[in-house]
Amino acid sequence: MAAQPRPIHAEQTSYLEGGGIYGWLTTIDHKRIAVLYGVTAVFFMALGGFEAMAVRTQLMYPNNHFLSAQTYNQFFTTHGLTMIFLVIMPLETGFFGNFLIPLQIGARDVAFPRLNALSYWIFLFGAITLNLGWLYGGLPNGGWFGYANLTERYYSPGPNIDFFDLGLLVLGVSSVMSALNFFVTIINMRAPGMTFFRMPLFIWSILVTVILILLAFPSLTVGLIFLFMDRYFDTHYYRVIAGATPILWQHLFWIFGHPEVYIMILPAFGLISEVIPVFSGKPLFGYPMMVYAIIAIAFLSYGVWGHHMFATGMGPVADMTFSVTSLLIAIPTGIKIFNWLFTVWGGRLRFTTAYLFALAFVIQFTIGGLSGMMHASPPIDLEQTDSYIIVAHFHYVLGLGALFAILAGFYFYWPKVTGRMLSETLGKWHFWLAVWSFNATFFPMHFLGELGMPRRIYTYAPHMGWDFWNKWETWNAYIIALSFIPLLLNIYWSLTNGERATEDPWDARTLEWSVPTPPPIYNFAEVPTVTARDAFWVAKYGSVEASGLTQSAPAIAPALVDVSKIHIPAPSLYPLLMGLGIFGMALGMLIGWYRVIFTAMALLVFSAIAMAFEYPNWGEENPHAVAESFLGLDSRKVGMWSFIGSETVFFACLISTYMVYKSRSLGVYDAGILNIPLTSFSTFVLLTSSLLMVLALAAFQRDDHKWGTIWLIGTALFGCIFLGGQVYEFGDFWLEHGMVFNANLFSQCFYTLVGFHGFHVFIGVVWLLVMAFAGIFGKLNAKRSLAVEICGLYWHFVDIVWVVIFVLVYLMRTVKGA
Amino acid sequence: MTMPFRLNRCRIATWSGLTLLLLSVVGCAPPPGTHYRLDTLSPRSALTQRFYDIFVEVTVIDIIVLIIVVAIFVLALMVFSTRTGEPTEFSWRTDVFLETAWIVIPMILVIAIAIPTVKTIIETQPYTWSPDTLEVRVIAHQWWWEFRYPSTGVVTADEVHIPVNRQINFAMVSRDVIHSFFMPALGGKRDVVPGQENHITLTANTPGEYWGQCTEFCGDSHANMRFRVFVDTPEQFDAWTKHQLSAPVHPTEGLAAEGAKIFADAPCAVCHTVRGISGLSPQYTYGFRGPDLTHFGSRGTIAGAIMDNTPENLALWIHNPDAVKPGANMPTLGLSGHDLNALVAYLESLK
Repeated sequence: MAAQPRPIHAEQTSYLEGGGIYGWLTTIDHKRIAVLYGVTAVFFMALGGFEAMAVRTQLMYPNNHFLSAQTYNQFFTTHGLTMIFLVIMPLETGFFGNFLIPLQIGARDVAFPRLNALSYWIFLFGAITLNLGWLYGGLPNGGWFGYANLTERYYSPGPNIDFFDLGLLVLGVSSVMSALNFFVTIINMRAPGMTFFRMPLFIWSILVTVILILLAFPSLTVGLIFLFMDRYFDTHYYRVIAGATPILWQHLFWIFGHPEVYIMILPAFGLISEVIPVFSGKPLFGYPMMVYAIIAIAFLSYGVWGHHMFATGMGPVADMTFSVTSLLIAIPTGIKIFNWLFTVWGGRLRFTTAYLFALAFVIQFTIGGLSGMMHASPPIDLEQTDSYIIVAHFHYVLGLGALFAILAGFYFYWPKVTGRMLSETLGKWHFWLAVWSFNATFFPMHFLGELGMPRRIYTYAPHMGWDFWNKWETWNAYIIALSFIPLLLNIYWSLTNGERATEDPWDARTLEWSVPTPPPIYNFAEVPTVTARDAFWVAKYGSVEASGLTQSAPAIAPALVDVSKIHIPAPSLYPLLMGLGIFGMALGMLIGWYRVIFTAMALLVFSAIAMAFEYPNWGEENPHAVAESFLGLDSRKVGMWSFIGSETVFFACLISTYMVYKSRSLGVYDAGILNIPLTSFSTFVLLTSSLLMVLALAAFQRDDHKWGTIWLIGTALFGCIFLGGQVYEFGDFWLEHGMVFNANLFSQCFYTLVGFHGFHVFIGVVWLLVMAFAGIFGKLNAKRSLAVEICGLYWHFVDIVWVVIFVLVYLMRTVKGA
Repeated sequence: MTMPFRLNRCRIATWSGLTLLLLSVVGCAPPPGTHYRLDTLSPRSALTQRFYDIFVEVTVIDIIVLIIVVAIFVLALMVFSTRTGEPTEFSWRTDVFLETAWIVIPMILVIAIAIPTVKTIIETQPYTWSPDTLEVRVIAHQWWWEFRYPSTGVVTADEVHIPVNRQINFAMVSRDVIHSFFMPALGGKRDVVPGQENHITLTANTPGEYWGQCTEFCGDSHANMRFRVFVDTPEQFDAWTKHQLSAPVHPTEGLAAEGAKIFADAPCAVCHTVRGISGLSPQYTYGFRGPDLTHFGSRGTIAGAIMDNTPENLALWIHNPDAVKPGANMPTLGLSGHDLNALVAYLESLK
């Protein structure tokens, strides 16, 4: 076909069109994946809302018998899990993140579109795993933070906690995958000229959020793996009788859990920072401070986990430290609130529904933040923790905060996503009902907390001063449910009769409004060049400060681009199959049917291999993409680096647990059993293998594929020798000394830590062998040295972890009595 | 920089209406002076008084900050906004003075909260005990509280007596999962963790009856794990101790005597101690232990302080413990009719 340049609009087809159901199942387009996340999350929101209504109905009267204690406990637990992991996170990062990141930074898709689809399918199956209790055995019932040792098999014999454990493990995999993907996308795929300080605030908030996800989720994963082992393999990670402490779970959980709070609120900040400037007709006030505030909040969020544990008796030093770090968060949060207020100040305000939700967010979030200042002070917290004032606090932050931000974003972006306008009248009905009902439900919970009502109680005695407010809150909670009816009507009306949306219905400021509505599959016919913050506004009106009433620059002239030349990656069924494989493994574990586990594992491996063959140009660096990228690095390399960052936290948690537990261990086995001469030898071998890896890469880079292959085989061989040493060591401990896996705290922590490292080495050896085979068949060359380099990054990381383990576990062993 | 100034009647009405609404909601807060069983606003010890004082300070700071934020919000919306159709007269993007102000002012507030907080933490932890301090061991079970007085040997459940104006050291451990010992008027709360001894040290200053409850989710009947604290005058406390140490009643005739026989024959005695009659080591009960019943009849409540101690309630409880307290470890013995009445009569006679 002759490459005759045509106007972009002639070729435009919306991303929503075509493909049918199979197209949606195999899609790897970020906008379609966003819609999948959105629809799934809305379904779970209805489910979580139903649970909330049941819980509120039970609490309507003292000594009520609407729900049994067991059902109530399942419902409040699942309500929390659902709203956090299946509603707020997938809506904020899954829906808004997926939809907006490429559009706002001027990219055609995320860095790894297939990985993106895989994240969604794993998320969906994780969500199903978490909710399997509806079908069999009962929903999770240990509270969303599932405190050990109540979650041990002895105290919770049913499958409830297994659904919790495996569901969250699977969801964690999905979250880390999409975080990695978004991180690389934002770092590497921004349009030319889109420097860090020209990025929209939403992109900043997502960037910081995904860093939090990468570095926080491994801690939860480790906690869940320990719980899994306690429940399935009879280890003692949270069992007092073996010298362990259930407080370990609280540390691992909250090191994840507090950053998790910001994972849920930072994207909300980002959405608000998009909506408020548009409808105030002014640029965001104090943009640099807003960015620094987000970074400061994220940084501090790692140092405050202990404020969830003031009542556990951590001692005065920990109490003071965590109290002060928690109070410090008030400063960057205050900066954000005042900057939003002063963005409104002096603006030309347009009170659309989206704007109203955003404004309500600012005040409601302030209330939630201020009550947070109370709990940051341990003397107050010792009266208030685990009471309804905490329930009020986090519902103000997440319900009246994050959810309101999501609704603001929903009304704002609906035209861009669907191509139709919503009814403002119905929207305002929704807004006023929501503002009334949410506040009327949750504000009096402060009073209940002051009157001492503990959270998570399914019943209470009359005459505690709680009767009136509980009844009041329940009636208002029903109004919350009703407040969503105008929204549903609005969606229905918009999809059937709604006015067609233009490209830029709100006179907005950022790049996503410059593309057709709904966007074509390739987003930008021509990748824009960015010269300033609020790039689209500048393109329309000439400068960021422009009033927006008179166009000082000509409207963007339609570019002449042949869109048929734009490379769109092909759809793939394998992400769905891999998701099914992971689901099958979790399911097999739950029903204890090992054949299911191995079949599912086979499906997973098959799909992974099949997907690998979908890349004809694997391992080849795209010089054009690298030159355009901000770091000058290939995206795959950045991806591996961020994966390594996440793995570091994973091993840090395992190593810390080992260090803490080895001194608490009871019984005969201790670090004295370790064979240092043997391990020194295998350490030497593993370190040497890193050297061979370097030689292999160097050989491939100078296109010497013979020696490259030889060095690769050498690296794999040395890895095998290391693994052989480990197998011998484990066998010696097990068979000669009788140190079984769960003999005592030392044995289980040692086997888990060293075993996980060994598993990483095993994966590395398999990877190296695949590479070596590619080398033997002549498929590796200088052009594909990137593949060797990424494999090498992983291999060096695994070696470095071993150096740390060797020093801390082997060389620094302290033997009791020695 | 000129400020566009505009007042719109409709908006004034809306926002003043909303402000009034907000004020009326705040006005619905529990009025001072009311006292409820678990309310956290009626401190009755030096410890909780300190908690309360910081609470009041932070509440005042919070309300002032909220008023400032709402005031700026309302002014920005009602007054200092530009009419639609007019160009914004200034496009104010940043202001060094203002932005410094809202870094410095929150910092001052944070310091104002941090100083009394840190001071209180240092002065209330770690605890200093004098020889005069009375130690009360609190042992949490799913779902009831056991109290032991090492100095006198008194053992009781769900109701703890302490003398007024004397330092009390509640030393707390859990037999099973994590619980939390919450007595708002006297000591706030502290988690009760298996394998770790936690303490609340306090000196109650007003005699009376106070309520407490478990506040860490601990399983099915988390809601049914309450207790009472009686702050006695020293004379009352001594009398109570003496009574608790006295030998239990031995009914020799009537319904109660039949009940005593049932108590000894039925599995009751496996888990429950009545001094001189039963009392096995917990190792024979798979780790379960029931409350000491030596002076059961003298207690005002049963089953984790969720019901008054009346014969009807007791019969209901023994007949089907799980219906009263879901998940209860006490088995359903199938007792009914005459046997049940006899057992109830016996237990109620254990004054």
